[in-house]
Amino acid sequence: MLNLENVNIFYKELQAIWSVSLNVQKGEIVALIGPNGAGKTTLLRVISGLHRCASGKIDFLGRQIEKEAPEKIVEYGLSQVPEGGKIFTGMSVLENLELGAFVKRARKEKNQNLEWVYEIFPRLAERKSQQAGTLSGGERQMLAIGRALMSKPQLLMLDEPSFGLAPILVERMFETIEKINHEGLTIFLVEQNVQSSLELAHRAYLLENGRIVGEGKGKDLLTFESVRSSYLG
Amino acid sequence: MKKNNIIKLILIIVVVALLVVLPLVIKNDSTINLVILVLLYILLASSWNILGGYTGQTNLGHAAFFGVGSLTTRLLWVNGVPFLLSFLAGGVVAVILALIIGAPAFKLRGVYFAIGTLALAQMLNLTVGNILPEMSYNPDLANYQLLPRYYLFLGLTLITILTAAILVKSRIGLGMMAVREGEDAAESLGISALKHKLIALSISAFFAGMAGAAFAYYHVSFYYYMPFGSEWTFDPMMMAYIGGTGTIIGPIIGAVFFVLLKQLLVWNVGEYHLIIFGTLFILIVLFLPGGLVEIWQKFRTFLTKKTKRRKKVLLKATIQNEDGIQRE
Repeated sequence: MLNLENVNIFYKELQAIWSVSLNVQKGEIVALIGPNGAGKTTLLRVISGLHRCASGKIDFLGRQIEKEAPEKIVEYGLSQVPEGGKIFTGMSVLENLELGAFVKRARKEKNQNLEWVYEIFPRLAERKSQQAGTLSGGERQMLAIGRALMSKPQLLMLDEPSFGLAPILVERMFETIEKINHEGLTIFLVEQNVQSSLELAHRAYLLENGRIVGEGKGKDLLTFESVRSSYLG
Repeated sequence: MKKNNIIKLILIIVVVALLVVLPLVIKNDSTINLVILVLLYILLASSWNILGGYTGQTNLGHAAFFGVGSLTTRLLWVNGVPFLLSFLAGGVVAVILALIIGAPAFKLRGVYFAIGTLALAQMLNLTVGNILPEMSYNPDLANYQLLPRYYLFLGLTLITILTAAILVKSRIGLGMMAVREGEDAAESLGISALKHKLIALSISAFFAGMAGAAFAYYHVSFYYYMPFGSEWTFDPMMMAYIGGTGTIIGPIIGAVFFVLLKQLLVWNVGEYHLIIFGTLFILIVLFLPGGLVEIWQKFRTFLTKKTKRRKKVLLKATIQNEDGIQRE
């Protein structure tokens, strides 16, 4: 479904990603784990078209997307939940969700998708007319995911959904992600929370200093020696 | 909610009707001129607000669009082009100028647009002053009448406010606000920041240019460079902030407040009014970032909270009563 081939990314002269290749198959949950500053967010930004890669190929559902505008990529069915959610705090919950259905393809099914999102996150339905800035941390993350779902994507990319959440909420967040996956959505997840994301993911890649240094089944990586020593202690 | 809207609609109709009959009742030229000044500032503040308030892009050169509108219209009109054509040309040329400066400046993020527009207005101010240093006289001087000028300003102001109100409720308006709230988040949802900024800038510049065109029709004599002066940027901007950016009513309240206060202060303290305005502006930005509109909003939430609390107290009392009855 998503296929990256030898992708190199620079920030000015500084190389952030070195020849990364990875793939996500339909129906999977794939996690990209790694420490702070490994380049995980950068990679997601490039896939979404928010930043350009210097070389390499990105293929999504048979289309070359590495040079496409971000709105085209959303239109093709690839949607991102940015780091920290980045909800529109000055607007209502409903307005936030409506903005998620901004692209042409999603506009027609807006009401249907809204029902669907409310079904997944009933809390959002309760708070729909409330200003998004007044939501709690967990609700903000729900809104960010709900907003991304409003474009009815085929592949959902999540940048640190556990960011800033209490452990109990992290657990619930991962349960929700699993539920969304069971409904047929493919998920590409970037996380620092290694234990939970490896338990959740079917497959995972390990990114360090801009290079893929390991890959395997989620549960296998949990026992992977370098992962154990670096992240799980 | 619905009742509120009806009250709002009636209020708007009453205000508009009053403005329509005003010059027929009060035949005092200086009063009509004062209202025209207020209308002109509402036009400039409201059009600035479309980009600055709703899209979050600080335009420090609104005077460039106002100036180029007045210049285009006046030059064409003086040289014998029919008035209506010259008038519309003012707005069109302003949009062309906006796209020329906006397209490259918006590609860069951050302060480039603010700096670019500031420089544009200053450059035009100097250039026009050097190329056309002579005074421009109204070609309609022989049979100059104030009334059509007044209605032109009134009509244009109403159209601007109406356009802004419809725009911000539309899909494009929602996209503009998303860009203001967070460009990255907006882009990740497929909302093109560049496109929405350019649309907002074009509409904003168009109405500033039309304001300039009306100014060219209204003013008896002025130097061509005068409308490019920075006060035509910073006064409307201050009005938008004082009233409340990102709201429809804010720039209107701000403009009325600003012009009336200025008249009052200029009579009493002369040039020192600038110090008072500067201080007022700083105080509002610091303590009332939502502008004067915020006072009303705070008052309203205070009221609803109070009635809610009273209802709660009443509810509690009845429950206690029922309890009491049950116990007996």
